[in-house]
Amino acid sequence: MNFCTLFSHMIRLRNLTKAYDGRRILRGLDLHVETGEFIFLTGASGAGKSTLLKLLYANEQPSEGQVWVAGERVDLLSRNKLAHLRRKIGVIFQDFKLLRHKTVLENITFVLRFHGLTSRDAHRRAYQVLKRLGLHHRQSALPEVLSGGEQQRVAIARALAYQPRLILADEPTGNLDADLAGELLSLLCDINYQGATVLVATHDHSLLEALPARTLVLHQGRIEYDGSWPP
Amino acid sequence: MIAQAFREGSALLRRRAGVSFVLALSLAVPLSLAGFTASLGLWSGPLTTLESEKVVVRVLLHPRMDEAQRKQWLEDQRRTHPDWILSEVPKEILAERLRIWFPYLEDLLKGENAVELPPLVEVQAPRPEEVDALSDGPAVIAVGPKSSVHRALGRGAKTLVGLATMLSVVLLASAFILAATWIHLEVYRHAEEISIMRLVGVTESAIRSPFVVAAAVPGIGAGVASVLGTLYLVSSVEDVAIRFGLHPPVVPPWIVAIEISAGFLLSILAAVVTLVRHARSEEGE
Repeated sequence: MNFCTLFSHMIRLRNLTKAYDGRRILRGLDLHVETGEFIFLTGASGAGKSTLLKLLYANEQPSEGQVWVAGERVDLLSRNKLAHLRRKIGVIFQDFKLLRHKTVLENITFVLRFHGLTSRDAHRRAYQVLKRLGLHHRQSALPEVLSGGEQQRVAIARALAYQPRLILADEPTGNLDADLAGELLSLLCDINYQGATVLVATHDHSLLEALPARTLVLHQGRIEYDGSWPP
Repeated sequence: MIAQAFREGSALLRRRAGVSFVLALSLAVPLSLAGFTASLGLWSGPLTTLESEKVVVRVLLHPRMDEAQRKQWLEDQRRTHPDWILSEVPKEILAERLRIWFPYLEDLLKGENAVELPPLVEVQAPRPEEVDALSDGPAVIAVGPKSSVHRALGRGAKTLVGLATMLSVVLLASAFILAATWIHLEVYRHAEEISIMRLVGVTESAIRSPFVVAAAVPGIGAGVASVLGTLYLVSSVEDVAIRFGLHPPVVPPWIVAIEISAGFLLSILAAVVTLVRHARSEEGE
């Protein structure tokens, strides 16, 4: 495989298969995502959207095939190299994955400090992102006192704060009202405009209709449709 | 990175201050006992040399041997056993020595029927068992007892040193297991947090460092507390040693240094080993 070809792709899947206990969730996926693309990934529940995202940030290992992200084959990376790759990826988790003992601000600055920012810079940047998501007044609250929508926005803020090259969002608007969902989409568009690749897994068709973008439809572990929405 | 590790580690300690305090005390117990047994081992160390001290064995020669034969026999023994020291007991004290070492000769020594006393030779030998072999020869009537209080004391001290060393090692190992168990439980408590940290790109060393800091602080505390414990235990046996006319045991400065560093290093080692094992087990999953 040509190195330049690999590098221009932010994501490349080759014959990707994932099975749990013999049950195939993903079946021989082939996919290329160019750097700077905005992509929706949709499909019914159980179609394999979340599994695909987990394979992309190497929270799962493929049963067969290869996963390349930002020029690295993620299923073969050592723990430390994987940590460095994950710093290029901002993941918005469906279940938020916030640190319970840390405040909203600390949940974001904590990650930024490990990305090499000074305490002052980390606080400044975290505050800016929180302000943009309308959460700056809740910066000292612990996650457990926040509503589902607020926790989701903290998870989004954390993923965006370190300006990753790739954003993987798993149902990011699941707990947001229509206004906040629109605001989030606009934020993701801005980030995409600045050069980041964005992959949003959603089953919310209103989101797909709001933004004309490449859409992948997963059905029974296969890419059934790859093109603009509506099909 | 280091500042971040200290901040996160101190946050961990603040949240688990009570448990950390209990851990420090629990670690201090085996460490101070290890220090105590090591101090006792060192104290009894010089006594072990008594075991190799030469023992005097009395050898009763045949009464019919004349002076020339006795001298010849002594020469032969000195040549055969260069590590022995042989000396003939003078006639003036012969009766008294015979009474002490060969009491069954009492009848020969008293009254009108007293016979000529057999010559007595004292043999200083590093291995008194070898002197026994002399009784096989025609020149020797009997070989006296070989017991020695010093040798028994030395043997006892040697056993004590061996036991103290073994016990110190076992106690240090138990301190390590205790610290490792505590860290294991802490890692288990923070498993979700650790997995989130991994997912957002925090490196393994950065994940481990707060736990290492959180383990090192009670480790140092345990080291200091164990030194106090050792000093207390050693002082409690001082009186007993003095009563028996022995030098009182002391805690040498290097044992103090080892106890403090053992508390610190054991807890750090326990943290690192546990975290590496945890990461590997997650990798396996």
